[in-house]
Amino acid sequence: MNSRLAEFFQLAVRQLFRRKFRVILTVAGIAIGVAALVGTVALGEGIRTQAVDAIRTQSDLTLIEALPGVEGNVLQLVTPTRAAAAANLPGVAASAPVVRGTFATRGQTYVQVIGVPADGLEGVLHPAYLRGSGFSPGSNEVVFGAALGEKLQRYEGVRIGDPLVIIRRSYDAQGRPVDEETTVVPVGVMEERGDAYDQLLLMDLDLAVRLGEGDGGYSGILIRAEGPDRVFSVAEGVRGIGLSPRGSFEQIEAVNRMMDMVVIFLGIFAGLSLLVGGLMIASTMITSVYERTREIGIAMAVGASEGDVMEMILAECAVLGVIGGVGGDLLGVLFAAVLNVLGGPFLASRFGDAFAGLLDSEIALVTWPLLAAGLLLAVVLSLLAGLYPAWKASRLNPVEAIRSGR
Amino acid sequence: MTSPILEARALSRHYPGGVRALEGVDLRIERGEFVSIIGRSGSGKSTLLNIVGGLDSPTGGSVAVNGTPLDFSDRRALISFRREMVGFVFQQFNLIPSLTARENVEYPLLFNYRPPAERQEKANALLAMVGLDGRASHYPGQLSGGEQQRVAIARALVADSPLVLADEPTGNLDSATSEGIFSLLQRLNRERRVTLLVVTHERELASYADRTVEMRDGRVVA
Ligand SMILES: Nc1ncnc2c1ncn2[C@@H]1O[C@H](COP(=O)(O)OP(=O)(O)OP(=O)(O)O)[C@@H](O)[C@H]1O
Ligand SMILES: [Mg+2]
Repeated sequence: MNSRLAEFFQLAVRQLFRRKFRVILTVAGIAIGVAALVGTVALGEGIRTQAVDAIRTQSDLTLIEALPGVEGNVLQLVTPTRAAAAANLPGVAASAPVVRGTFATRGQTYVQVIGVPADGLEGVLHPAYLRGSGFSPGSNEVVFGAALGEKLQRYEGVRIGDPLVIIRRSYDAQGRPVDEETTVVPVGVMEERGDAYDQLLLMDLDLAVRLGEGDGGYSGILIRAEGPDRVFSVAEGVRGIGLSPRGSFEQIEAVNRMMDMVVIFLGIFAGLSLLVGGLMIASTMITSVYERTREIGIAMAVGASEGDVMEMILAECAVLGVIGGVGGDLLGVLFAAVLNVLGGPFLASRFGDAFAGLLDSEIALVTWPLLAAGLLLAVVLSLLAGLYPAWKASRLNPVEAIRSGR
Repeated sequence: MTSPILEARALSRHYPGGVRALEGVDLRIERGEFVSIIGRSGSGKSTLLNIVGGLDSPTGGSVAVNGTPLDFSDRRALISFRREMVGFVFQQFNLIPSLTARENVEYPLLFNYRPPAERQEKANALLAMVGLDGRASHYPGQLSGGEQQRVAIARALVADSPLVLADEPTGNLDSATSEGIFSLLQRLNRERRVTLLVVTHERELASYADRTVEMRDGRVVA
């Protein structure tokens, strides 16, 4: 910035200082708009962050399952080629093809089964065992999800190491049910994960295929992303090879979509008040230019160019914008603080335990980029509001301006 | 032979509706002259001053400065003419109310891209010359009418403009104060060789000048 512009800013501050009360009123408009914007966005972002954090801690975010996709009404099956392509996607740490099926026990407990290669069980699912351990490749050993293990033990007395008969029902050409019995050996129970795996019976992929699952193809591909930040790009990659990615990342996507809507919607209302603030600045500056007609004429008589006059008026607008933006940011921070002190307990009491986490965390999240955006918006808006008054001032006829009694 | 600092030829300024504020004015002012312009109200004195100061454009005729014609259609040329060649003193409310006396004096240099230190030094020296060294940090509202005009005169000199134009600088002042202003102008003319073109209503004040031009109905009559 050249030094003359810096001096214009100094002059602007002094010009404005002479009209303190009017400046405060004018700037209040834009400050309230910025505060509303900062407040609503902070609230939206806070809730978004809370929800996303909850999903992250409560679920296995980096685990994705690629299922058959639909492209132009054609089902895209999980072929070995696609499985290989998925394994090679950037950001994929490990992957394993799976087949799924349904079995029943003799005690009429229905069991969802997933067949996964033994190395895939360890390499992709990273299971932790409550009891026992994983199955070995090529064996008829199986592993229970926590809830399934608990259920089978309680109602059917199934214990680790004891053979268990599972029944697969299929239908013959006449549509009559045909039951096939298989004996498997439970060797481990996984710890509770909080997702669908808690209900599953896991077995070796080869065993599942041998039992007739998969119809010659795979049901899906289990994928482990390298980290939480890679999950969304991996999911995109999966879509790219024609499959449909599933996982807890979808909940995050859903939350993000919803919060985007909420923030945009609330932001529009906040934006309206910003617009009012901008109009107030325009009005104040038009009045100010009118009142200082003579001053502007004198500036022109002593050598100010049209550009100089515009710069001087716009400098005042920029200062108004900075004051409004900083004031608005402060108000917004205050607003967010109030929300955090009062809003958390309120929501927790209204919605109960699920929101208990809100009690000791921030539901309105004010970030530096948000504050910077508020300030920038205020300044840009003020400059836009000042364009017309500044242009008008620069077009004044110096003779008439000096002659005018103002 | 050197060309005159200012030469107006057949200058006219017509307004829509048949008003002829100036009609064929010839005026030649030599470097270092102190010229006063007198004439009845409406005779075109301010119009003439505004045109030769580059604030207004004539509808006919020409103005030459140091022998170079002034191109009234060239905005940039007019602006640098106002910056470098002329200093203006108006009848009243000449000063920017939000600036101190010294800052008012400095004001033209802001548009001449001079560094602050140089500007302050110059402004202080000029304030001392017009006898207001003690009032540098006072605002116009804290100064008397005569003091304000002294500040305005200092401002007209600050860019070292060779030509100072004053439109009824004492129009709002009592006669003793007016005498003071005119003797200050006379001193500036003599000591600093500033060329002065000063409009006044009063013949006694006009007598401070080397020469008096009288206007009537947009024409120079004497
Ligand atoms: N913008 C304008 N439109 C129409 N007529 C104008 C305009 N400005 C000035 N005039 C006319 O031009 C004539 C000369 O005006 P000017 O201001 O030059 O007179 P003056 O000699 O300075 O008078 P005074 O002593 O009262 O200041 C007047 O008749 C005035 O009414
Ligand atoms: Mg006049």
